[in-house]
Amino acid sequence: MCEMGLDGGILLGKAVAKSREKLPYWRRILDASLPVDLSYIPIGLACGILLNASGFNVWTTLMVSIMVFSGGAQFLIASLLATNAPMLSVILMMFFLELRYALLGSSLSKYLHGESLGFTALFAASMNDENYALNYLKFSTDKKFTPHEALHVEHMTLIFWTISNIIGSLIGSAINIDLTIVHFALTALFLYMIVVQLKNGLIIVICILSGFLAAFFMVLTKSTLGLVLSTLTASFIGFLVEATIRKYKPKSGWLRPMKNPAGSPEDADEDADD
Amino acid sequence: MEWNTTQHVWLILGCFCVAFAPRLIPLMFFRTRKIPDWFNEWMRYVPISLFTALVVKDIFISPEYTVTIVNRAPEMIAAVIVIGIAYWTRSMAISVVLGLVAVFLLAMVV
Repeated sequence: MCEMGLDGGILLGKAVAKSREKLPYWRRILDASLPVDLSYIPIGLACGILLNASGFNVWTTLMVSIMVFSGGAQFLIASLLATNAPMLSVILMMFFLELRYALLGSSLSKYLHGESLGFTALFAASMNDENYALNYLKFSTDKKFTPHEALHVEHMTLIFWTISNIIGSLIGSAINIDLTIVHFALTALFLYMIVVQLKNGLIIVICILSGFLAAFFMVLTKSTLGLVLSTLTASFIGFLVEATIRKYKPKSGWLRPMKNPAGSPEDADEDADD
Repeated sequence: MEWNTTQHVWLILGCFCVAFAPRLIPLMFFRTRKIPDWFNEWMRYVPISLFTALVVKDIFISPEYTVTIVNRAPEMIAAVIVIGIAYWTRSMAISVVLGLVAVFLLAMVV
């Protein structure tokens, strides 16, 4: 069973689609979330070690990993506690760091429309960059993907994150992990997400524009608020340009879909968009 | 001065509130309301813009929020490798694993 799990994870898109009827439900969720689960292990360990070093015990580590569930935020807590920052300023910085989740929620809202209040709250509580990336891709490529499956993907990543945090906290400062290298797992995940979404010329232009805007706004605001501002600006420009092109030059090459060298995943994106 | 556990718990509760509110409010707002088409079209550009911003932050922004390329060569080269792998294989797991291997090896060499 274990070997199959790895294969399924690596061949993610196609293999899972074919074998999804045969696999038990939890295995499908595990397969769908595996790339994030695996990269959470080293990062979660590192985070647990850092929290331990800044004075958190096992229980507060457990609490923060479930209630905040955000790598960036927990690293920030650890580093601010190490510098003895006042509580109010930690919470304020946290607010600016977490503000971008408003955008994640907004962009997923059309897939979660009409769900119950309890479900929405539960879904919001454990949504973060990484499982949002998984779920957004799943929702936009797989029509059968349900909000409940998305919630379980979130919880699967949460389990891996929390356990890694706890183990990191327990082993404390016994081992030394190079954070910049481990953190690259997430950078690679986001790069992957970018590449699979580059479907036409306009999106590539917006992507490059967003990169420059992000650097500009982050230097300007000296905080991750710059992420929110650049995302809002770049996405709004993308929307305006697309609307303008569709209105005046619907046949423009900027919106023509590009060829996909791997031929997957089944170009289901078109119907998900309307 | 070390913080005690009670203060840590209060800190976590505070962080939970500021982390939960931005995640919940947009989803609550659109839970029952009809989502306007223009809003959906705008939100379609959010993931790509956000992921690019996060990558730029990870690679080019220092902890003091200045643009830097000093000592970022391993990440920059590994990023190009990941883009290539993601483009040709379209596999998330292979991209992440080979990206990690690449940055690890490059950090030793560069």
